[in-house]
Formats: sequence, C-alpha cells, structure tokens
Amino acid sequence: MTLLATVNSDVPFNVAQNVGFGVIAVLMVTGALRVVTTNNVVHAALWLVLVLAGAAAQFILLAAEFVAITQVLVYIGAIVVLFLFGVMLTRAPIRGEAGLTRSNWFGGALVGVLLLGLLSFTLLDTFGGDRLPADTRLTLRPAAVSQAEGTEPTAGSNVGAVSDSIFSRYLIPFEAVSVLLTAALIGAIVLARKE
Amino acid sequence: MLLNQFLILSAVLFAIGVYGVIARRNGVAVLMSIELILNAVNINLVAFSAMTGTLAGQVFALFVIAIAAAEVGVGLAIVLVIYRNRRSIDLDEVDLMRG
Amino acid sequence: MVGLLAQAGEAARLDTPEVEWTALAPVLVMIGGAVLLMVVAALAPRGSRVGWHAIVTIAVAVAAIATVVPQWNRVGDDGPFSVVAGSVGVDRFSLFLTVVICASVVIATLFTDGYLRREGLEGAEPYVLMLLSASGGLIMASANDLIVMFLGLEILSIAVYVLAGMHLRRVRSGEAAIKYFVLGAFSSAFFLYGVAMVYGATGSTNLVEVADFLARNTLADSGLLVAGFALLLVGFGFKVAAVPFHSWTPDVYQGSPTPIVSYMASGVKAAGFAGLLRVFVVTFGDYRLDWQPIVYWVAVLSLLVGAVLAVVQTDVKRAMAYSSINHAGFILMGVQAASDRGVSAALFYLAAYTFMVAGTFGVLTVVGRRGDGHHQLSDYAGLGRREPLLALALVVFLLAQAGTPLTSGFLAKFYVIDAAIESRSFWLALVAMLSAVISAFLYLRIILAMYGSSDDAETADGAAATAGPRLRVPAAAGIALVIAVVATIGIGLVPDPLSETARDATPELVASGD
Repeated sequence: MTLLATVNSDVPFNVAQNVGFGVIAVLMVTGALRVVTTNNVVHAALWLVLVLAGAAAQFILLAAEFVAITQVLVYIGAIVVLFLFGVMLTRAPIRGEAGLTRSNWFGGALVGVLLLGLLSFTLLDTFGGDRLPADTRLTLRPAAVSQAEGTEPTAGSNVGAVSDSIFSRYLIPFEAVSVLLTAALIGAIVLARKE
Repeated sequence: MLLNQFLILSAVLFAIGVYGVIARRNGVAVLMSIELILNAVNINLVAFSAMTGTLAGQVFALFVIAIAAAEVGVGLAIVLVIYRNRRSIDLDEVDLMRG
Repeated sequence: MVGLLAQAGEAARLDTPEVEWTALAPVLVMIGGAVLLMVVAALAPRGSRVGWHAIVTIAVAVAAIATVVPQWNRVGDDGPFSVVAGSVGVDRFSLFLTVVICASVVIATLFTDGYLRREGLEGAEPYVLMLLSASGGLIMASANDLIVMFLGLEILSIAVYVLAGMHLRRVRSGEAAIKYFVLGAFSSAFFLYGVAMVYGATGSTNLVEVADFLARNTLADSGLLVAGFALLLVGFGFKVAAVPFHSWTPDVYQGSPTPIVSYMASGVKAAGFAGLLRVFVVTFGDYRLDWQPIVYWVAVLSLLVGAVLAVVQTDVKRAMAYSSINHAGFILMGVQAASDRGVSAALFYLAAYTFMVAGTFGVLTVVGRRGDGHHQLSDYAGLGRREPLLALALVVFLLAQAGTPLTSGFLAKFYVIDAAIESRSFWLALVAMLSAVISAFLYLRIILAMYGSSDDAETADGAAATAGPRLRVPAAAGIALVIAVVATIGIGLVPDPLSETARDATPELVASGD
C-alpha cells in the first residue's frame, strides 16, 4: 500500500452523495449484467438504457452537467434507438432465441474477472482513500495560447466552461470529430443502401 | 466521495463489457457490450477530471460519446451487410475463414 | 435591446487560438479533396472510360505531399513547432510519415481503379473513404494530444472498416468487415482506457504536458502509469498487427478487397507506428525501462509467429498477411530500441516497406481475377510464362521482403537490426535474423511456383499450368507496379537520400507558443 498521505482527507463525508452513488451503482451493475446475459436482444437494449441513465446520474454527481445531458440526448436518445432499429432490420425474434451466449463464455468470464482483479488492485494501490475535492466546480485553465496576458476566461457554469474550452483549446479535436462523423455517414450509407 | 468508488465501478463495467464482447453470439449484442466499455471509460475520465480539477476529462468524454455514435452507426451498417448475405447475424456462423 | 446585446457581447470574450493554416495544410487538402470528390462524383455523369475518380484522388494525395515540402524546409530552419493551442505538432517526423501515408494512398488508388472496373462496382465512395482514412492517419502522425491521437485513430479505423466490407456481393468481404470492426472497436476501447489511466496519473492529455510532468515528478507508485502503457499498447498493437493482437489480420486480409488490403498493410500500419513512436518513444521516454520489456516480447512473438505461420499457408493472400505480421515485428525492434537510431530505422523500414507490400498486394489484385478469389499457390503456377513482366515485378517485391541485397528490404532490415544491436538487444537481433530465414522459404516457394516447370507445378482441376487464362493488367496497375519496382530497387541501390531523410526526421515535442 502506498505510504503517501490520503489526498483531500479533510473533505467531510457527505451521506446523501454516497447513498446516491451506491444506489445508482448497484442499478448500473445489475443492468450491465443483464445486458450480457439476457437471451432477448430487445431486453438487452432496454437494460442498456438503465446503465446509460445511471452513468448520466453519476456525471451529475461529479458536477459534469453538460456531459450528463449529452449522454442522455445522444446515447439514450439516439444510439439506443439505432440499436433497436438494427434489431428490427435484422429480424431478431422479439420473444428471444435459444441462446445468445457462445460456447467460450467461461473463458470470457475468466478474462473479465482477471482484468477486474488487476485493475482494482492497481487502482486501490494508487489512490487508496483519496477523496474528491469538495468544490468540484471547474473553471477553464488558461489556454496554452492566450492573446492577452492575464485574461483567464471565467465561466460561471459547467456548460460555459466546457464550451469555452472546446472552442479554444480543443478546437482541433472538435473539427476532427466532424470529419469522423462525415466518414461514418458516408461509410454507413455505402454499406447499407439498397442497390 | 472516494475517487476509488467511481474507478472501481468503471472497472466492473469494463470487465462486464469485455465478457460481453467475447461471449455474446448476436452481432448487435456485441455492439452493446462495446458501448458498456465506452461508458466505463467515460465515467473514468469524468472522475479523473473532477479529481485533478482540469476540464480535459469532460471534454474527452464528450468526444467519446460522439465517436461511440459514429461507431454504432457504422457497426450496424456492417451487421446489415452480413444479414443481407447470410440471413443471420450469429457470429459463430460467420467464422468461415480458418487457419 | 441594444444594451442587452452589448452586455452579452462583453461577457462572451473568448481567447480563440491562432490557427496556423499552413501547418494543417496536408490534412486540410486531403479532407477538402475527399469532400470535393464526393460532391463532384454525385453530380458528374457515370460510366466514363477514364478513371476520373482515381485521377482526382491521386492529384489530392500528390497535392498533400507538395504542401509538405515548404514545411520541411521551415522546420529545418526554425525548428519544430506546434499549433492551435498545442494540440497539433509539426516536426520532420510527422512530415515524413505524411508523405509515406500519402504515397500508400496513391499506389492503392492506382490498383483500386482497375479492381472496381473489373468487379463492376461504381461510385467514388471507396476513394473518398480512402482519402478520409488517410487524413485520420495524418492527424495521428502529427498529434500532440492524446485526444487528437485517438480521434485520428478512429477516423482512420472507421473508414477502413467500411472499405474492408466494400465488396457487398462477396460474403467474405462482409465477414472481414465485421471481424475487423468488432476487434477494432474492442481494442480502441482498451486504448481509451489506457488514455484515461495516463490522464489520471499525470493530470493532462497533452503529450507535452505529460512529458513535462513525468520529467519533473517521480511517481511514487507508477502502477497506474504502467497499466496505462499496457492498455495503450493493446490499442496500437492491434492497429499494427502485432502478436498477440494479430488474430484479425489473416481473416481480414483474406476477405477484404485486395487493393484495400494494399492500403491497410502500408498506410494504416504507418499511421499506427506513427502513434506508437510518438507516444512511447518520445512522451514516455523517461519510463522506457517499464515499457521496453513488453515491446521486446511483442516484437519477438510477432517475428516468430509471423514467419512460422506464413510458411504453412496455401493461400497466398493469407501468407502475405502473416508476413506483414513478421514485418511489424521488425519495425517493433526499432521501437524497442527507443533511441534516435531506432526511430530513424523504423521510419526507413516503413517507407521501404510501403512500396514493397503495396506492390505485392497489387500483383495479388491482378492475379485474383474477377471475383477476387484466385489466390491459391496453384494460381501462380506458370505465371512466369504467361505474364513475364508481372511475375518479374512480384519477384522483385518478394525478394525485397525477404531482405535480399540490392533491394530496399535488405537495408531496411539491416538498419533495424543495427539499432537493436546498438541498444544491446542481441537476442532480439538473433531472433529477427532467424525469422528472416524462415520467411524466405515462403517467398522462394511462391517464386518457384511462378517459374517452375509445368510437370512440377500443382494444377487445379487438371488444367495445365501454362494454359491458364491470360490476365488483364490494367494500365493504372501497371503504372503503380512500375513506381513500386523502381522505388524498391532504387532505394536498394541508392539508399542515402531516404536514410538521410529518415535520420533527420526525429520526433520532438514542442510546447505551443514557441
């Protein structure tokens, strides 16, 4: 175990936040297990909605409201709908098939457990009992290129801070995402259109 | 809140997603498992963002959501191609090429 | 009303970074060209005899190469620089790889033209997707931030997944696409987890800031960082087809349309190694004792598995897939050396290898005939008599891949082994030379099949080997083969221009604002 002092050990224990986290975490893990074990693909999509909603709730707990809203809008609102379309177009039986699990499921479970063990050990070893800082309101650090000195853009809200950073420091990734979406759009149409 | 509770939750989701990719037979179900893994990474990124006080993690999480959407679109298109050719999206049947 | 707007205007003062358009020129040319091609192809009439799509694609790629030249001189005078708030870095390393990737696009396009005509596939989409994929590779080569690197990786990958499944009527193409997609998305997710670990350990995703952090602070517990290394290596290892992340390579190479495989084996690999070198050798250079052993063993396995499994294949395309795993092992030797010499050796190998392997798969495209299915060893029997020039080109490429002197392959392998010896990895160098001998069996077997007598050669269905069908070699493919052969022998005879350039192309991380 690390001998470093626990970071932020003076942050008080907030009961409401921790209870909230616990409940949502249990729901998420249950949902995830059901996604990978259920025999009905449509049910799997709906359990996935539970996991995604839980993730959005966790983002709000971490004071990342913009990411939470985007998660709901894009993941639940678009990606799950896309999954359901895919299920419909591939004529998956609504009532479930004989089995959706391959014969090598035990090997997969072993790999999963192994990864979990390694990661947990590393994480517990590195972070121990470090707590999150009490005030998780994030302001934009000065962008690497700043026209005038001393002008640190202060954003009053998380949305403002994130949008400021997207259009200043992370401009290139933002434009690259549009190229990615164009490539995906052209690609999906090329493959899926009727001849 | 401990940082580790978020990281362990993310590790659990990651492991479940890995199991899903390896063990699931239906093409769409495998895609869903990949989404589980990406969500696990997102929770990780946002948690680290809160810990270090920088915005990079949140911004990266947003881009990951966009990338996941693009991947699902292309992935389902490929599954459709398989379905049109073989009338089935069972990945066990798809393994023609061996050796 | 005006007062309200004025107030809003005052509150929203944002420091947008300066965008240096000249630095982004290669990427912009590729993307702009792709979009232009898409629009023009949609409006232009179909079914013309001259391959306008291919010509435009090649023009775009050559234009991208042309924009590199002034920047090369600029970096030589003023030193490397980074643009747009430190997310893109321009140094000679990224410029070198930009040229390599664009060259692979040119050669693959020349082969794709004939292929699409032969198979009766219309449309400009394959070219558009290839340009977009290459632009993703260019973004990866000059990324200064892990977010940008991941985005480049995804652009590269998603376009190639689609290209792999492009031949909609062939079942194998679709299966190659889904296999590539599932395993690719899986490994991208691992890569992402690794980025999150590095972010958690160092507090930033910007490569310059990460390198600074690692230089200034010694981590009391580097477990998180090492976990990050391992996960990042999974992602990169998949892209460059290194063992044990290679299981997709034989099936995907065998099922995808062959000219696309020529792009995959050259351009995609180059982009993958660009990322690998930039992230591991440059950014994590201080922690090389942590990641070098992992890369060492990955290199050893790739060299051996690639060589041994290549020899036992009967399908030539599959055998070439395994041989490309073997080549990846050689380049990984350069990565493992983690020195300037290793980097320049890896770059030389990538440049020489691009022409070799793209040319090889081009010949495979032509021999595959309509349906892209004739890739057994028996299809090559007697090729020396039926198509002497084609067979000669293949001989040059195969000998170069084996590392015969007077070809670029010999010097490529020599430099990489030299870098390994300089970093005192003697056993690795020994394994590499052993694997070169083993894989030489494969190349010689194909050459002998082409020139062997009709009694010895295996015949399929009793058809006489010399009386096989005459192959149509499209004009574009012929041009590409000439370029590749000239490059392979030219670099072999006069290596200095390329090796000097590779030695100048050192990657450097530069903070912005310099």
